[in-house]
Amino acid sequence: MVLAIETTGLSKSFGSVQAVDSVSLRVQRGEIYGFLGLNGAGKTTTIRALLGMIRPETGTVRLLDQPVGPHGRGPWRQVGHMVESPAVYPELTVRENLEVARRWQGVSDRGAIERVIEQLGLRQYADRRSGTLSTGNRHRLGLARALLHGPDLLILDEPGSGLDPAGVVEIRELLGRLAGEQGVTIFMSSHILTEVDRLATRIGIIHRGRLIEELGARQLEALRARKLVVRTRDLAQARAVLTGAGFEVHDGDEVLLLAEARAVEAPDHVATLLVNAGAPPTRLAVEQENLEDYFLRLTGGDA
Amino acid sequence: MNGFVAAFQVELLKARRSRLAWGITAAFLILPLVGGLFMIILKNPDQARAMGLISVKAQLAGGTADWPTFFSMLLQGTAIGGIMLYSFITAWLFGREFSDHTAKEFLAVLTPRWQIIAAKLALMVLWIVLLTLLSFAVALTIGALVAIPGWSQGLAASTFGSLALIMVLLLMLMPLVAFFASAGRGYLPPLGWALLTLVLAQIMAALGWGDWFPWSVPALASGMAGPPAELTGPHSYLVVLLMCFVGLAATFIWWRSADQAQ
Repeated sequence: MVLAIETTGLSKSFGSVQAVDSVSLRVQRGEIYGFLGLNGAGKTTTIRALLGMIRPETGTVRLLDQPVGPHGRGPWRQVGHMVESPAVYPELTVRENLEVARRWQGVSDRGAIERVIEQLGLRQYADRRSGTLSTGNRHRLGLARALLHGPDLLILDEPGSGLDPAGVVEIRELLGRLAGEQGVTIFMSSHILTEVDRLATRIGIIHRGRLIEELGARQLEALRARKLVVRTRDLAQARAVLTGAGFEVHDGDEVLLLAEARAVEAPDHVATLLVNAGAPPTRLAVEQENLEDYFLRLTGGDA
Repeated sequence: MNGFVAAFQVELLKARRSRLAWGITAAFLILPLVGGLFMIILKNPDQARAMGLISVKAQLAGGTADWPTFFSMLLQGTAIGGIMLYSFITAWLFGREFSDHTAKEFLAVLTPRWQIIAAKLALMVLWIVLLTLLSFAVALTIGALVAIPGWSQGLAASTFGSLALIMVLLLMLMPLVAFFASAGRGYLPPLGWALLTLVLAQIMAALGWGDWFPWSVPALASGMAGPPAELTGPHSYLVVLLMCFVGLAATFIWWRSADQAQ
């Protein structure tokens, strides 16, 4: 299968700072790859290397089976990108900024501009000077520019940043449709882990320049710890009952937490124990560790 | 080639929409306007004396109200002021991509980087040529309106030739300004460079080495320090040409090879 993105041993340092260290990525066509990492982990440097904006000290980059760089060479007609917060020409209108992108990308179809204006909900701002746009709308313009030429591969740096919650959902759905209906490969970085969790089919975690884990979304689902959350009116009595029954009980925020499989897989049994002991649960729920906690556990809380 | 045309159209659109661009154009036209004002003052010495300092400066700058003086002021003003104003244009074309953080938007597009840079340089040439022609046309119009004595077609033609020569010499010094705007990622480094070369040009010319110093050559060619033929030689034009090639090579190599990590 032809890979959409392939890097081998990609390394880049700035002075004494090792921004990216031997990163080898393999993203299949049609995948939505979530590239997770804290601020300064090396996400943007990796993305800039993918786009030929910086020259790696070691390693190679191939996009859509074509080599990238040096000297800015790459399959750019098939690649849409948004790096960090999108920059616009402030004196040009939204439509004119898209016209600039259309010409740079050699798109002969002028209708492409109106299509992306519609797609990104920019109709009412189309003739407004870009310098007056809100951060969220500027972000939409950046995404519109990335989509303008109908790319096969989208490389997006923090696509949800700057958007309001409704905008985040809207963009997530749009990216989901692009991948699902048009087979567009999406490589998106984020430090907002839940944002990636809901969309990505595969996830790579970068920490201090190194790719420390790469796994499928289902794999991640399985790896994330689950726990049974118990709330009762009398926590002390409930703790005594459950401890007496041999459970390992942890204290939460006005709740009790049971992490053992026999508790997580049989909450009805726990409920029966508590009811019979006169401490019926007011809340009983199996909760899965969120990505933030998983990420911190993986990196040893070493942010 | 299509990529170059597309990139040129983009640069043209950006320049047309920019207020700064029009401001630079207006600033350049001040030169013939001020020259015309001096001619009015010199033509009417009684009124000029009543105007105090302006008349004194006008007397110092020119002396007599005639076309040779007026044209001489235009040539000298272009040679000196041109370095700064042409540098402003060049600094804006290249430096704005960094001050607006837009450089990263055209590094991974279908149009090759070198064509986008070539388009910027082409627009710079076109802009400066048009600005210089406009400045000459305005000078002729003002001269005619003020009815300056001493007109001859031969003088106008030779002035136009000198103006064109000064413009070409200055244009050849602009690629280095483009390089400093690119490598310096903004406006200040190229303008600092332009100011430095302007000062050094005066010093080198005063020391008598101006014919070997590329940034002194346009001013020497304007005739402000004496007959150009006596002050410059083929080597003077060669060093300017050399700076042009150095600037072009540095700019293209930088855009091709430098890390764009900001």
